[in-house]
Amino acid sequence: MNALDQIRSRIKALEAMPTVPAVVMPLASMLQQPPEHIDLEKVVELVSYDSTIAAQCLRMANAPLFGRRKTETVRSAILALGLKRVQAILLGCCVNKIVPPDKWALDAVTFWRHSLGCALVSSKMAKLIGYPDPEKAYLAGLLHDLGILVNTLTSTDEYRECIREACDGRRALHLSEESRLGFTHCQSGKILAEHWHFSADVIEVVEFHHDLAAAPADAFLVSIVNLSDFLCRVRDLGYGYYEAMGVDLAGESAWAKLAGHYPALADMDLARFTMDIDGALEEITATVDAVFKPQHSALP
Amino acid sequence: METGTAKAVTLPGAEDLRNPAYLKIRDVIYQISGIYQPEDKLYLLASRCARRMSAVKASTPAEYLQHLTARGNREAELRLLLNEITIGETYMFRSPSQLEALRSVILPQLVQAKSGMGFKRLRLWSAGCSTGEEPYTLAMFLLEESRRLLPGWTFDILATDLNDNSLLTAKAGIYGEYALRSTTEPLRKKYFKPYDEKRLQTTDKLKSLIRFERVNLYDEGKMAVLKDMDLIFCCNVLIYFDLASKRKVVQHFYANLLPGGYLFLGHAESLYQIDDRFHLVLFPGVVGYWKPPIGYKGGGKP
Repeated sequence: MNALDQIRSRIKALEAMPTVPAVVMPLASMLQQPPEHIDLEKVVELVSYDSTIAAQCLRMANAPLFGRRKTETVRSAILALGLKRVQAILLGCCVNKIVPPDKWALDAVTFWRHSLGCALVSSKMAKLIGYPDPEKAYLAGLLHDLGILVNTLTSTDEYRECIREACDGRRALHLSEESRLGFTHCQSGKILAEHWHFSADVIEVVEFHHDLAAAPADAFLVSIVNLSDFLCRVRDLGYGYYEAMGVDLAGESAWAKLAGHYPALADMDLARFTMDIDGALEEITATVDAVFKPQHSALP
Repeated sequence: METGTAKAVTLPGAEDLRNPAYLKIRDVIYQISGIYQPEDKLYLLASRCARRMSAVKASTPAEYLQHLTARGNREAELRLLLNEITIGETYMFRSPSQLEALRSVILPQLVQAKSGMGFKRLRLWSAGCSTGEEPYTLAMFLLEESRRLLPGWTFDILATDLNDNSLLTAKAGIYGEYALRSTTEPLRKKYFKPYDEKRLQTTDKLKSLIRFERVNLYDEGKMAVLKDMDLIFCCNVLIYFDLASKRKVVQHFYANLLPGGYLFLGHAESLYQIDDRFHLVLFPGVVGYWKPPIGYKGGGKP
């Protein structure tokens, strides 16, 4: 059995884990429908059933990125966030639950800072260049590193070593995964993403975000997330260690692919975009703390 | 020279910072000078504006924006505002991310690229060195790293400025606590000697690595002879030039650099629409402008 098959069978075993809150499946399938068929009151009702999800929606809606005003009811939180964002929270919530607190190999807050940072940068870049579905870019950015959680869960001790090695060598995580585990978070993430029936384009992002050459030619979402991932890693939204790298973003193959289809990319003021990420750092940190740090306060 | 922290001025409250007039002022400044303040630095912009606002008796940011953009005022007021924005003393080891990028990526890259060519020499240029903090930092940094990263290499640092007084201060190398705030004790012992009760002076050995010279970046004849640079540092200097002059200076920088060399600007400056031959390269915490080697086709990390 090769390394990937091993991961596959370990992930199969994960099925038995109490991962997905009961409310998620009906909610998720409801949110799949065209917006005009969605019964908002039903969504509010379902979200309110699950205190964790309700709390996360409220915290997210009140986070500085959204909350210029105070949102106090689940209904107004959902309205402020939008249904697609609620869906992203749902998924984030499920994903977060698959790793028990004592198993984290990479610090949980660091992981979510990178994921949320990448989500925000991806959706912002999508809007800037005219990609038609910025919310999809948000979701793909949020979940692109799903495989890190799989590796954490299926190979906890070995994976901790792997991260330490990347950290000591100041190199990219997927390179040290390759040499130490024999597979990367892209491959293991793909298996879980398929298992959870993610949409095909998000699965592509999970699988190819470090390997553009292998991605289909029209996988623009992969390019967006690949570039956003680089941007986050050089602007203090990486994996919490120094990566010795210098990235000529406009020389990356993802850039060329994207610019071929979205000419607005070529006019993007990359320096200013980069500085804007710095400007959003504080908010990203606050949002991650609000949404993903365990809090003990009573719910409103 | 990079901008320092604001002197004591009443800082605007968080509510004030959301005033859209500040964003517009920010954009006006960016258009003219290339200096950009991201949202988390708006408090700095606001505090600098506050001084100009009281000078012109504007009571709100919107009123000041109107004054700033009014025909007839625009040029003079913008200059005064830029003076506020760019004042502030600098200090040594001000940009650790830049030094880290040099240490972990750029120097190994240059060494590898140049050792094949036979000459083991690096040339650095601090263009607009002001009172000398930057070139002395680079000299200390290179001396510290040379055993590990640059064995058998020599390097020289050219430090230029237009301002004679700044150059005199730089050559004297006498610094107080503010300039030395980020200089560690071992480095102070190694590269400085006591000057008076409150100040230290750079050692002759450190000074000997740096050639100070008065250079006007707008002097085409002079710019044309400064050749074969590996690294150029030009922080918060271009802001004093209009767009056409900026383009000219940056064109010269491009010619002054060897292929594979880097230009560094101040942390809020950008070359957007000034020069598109440089490649913007992202390092953790800092960006550099790279002159690609001849025949570079893109496709990844330099």
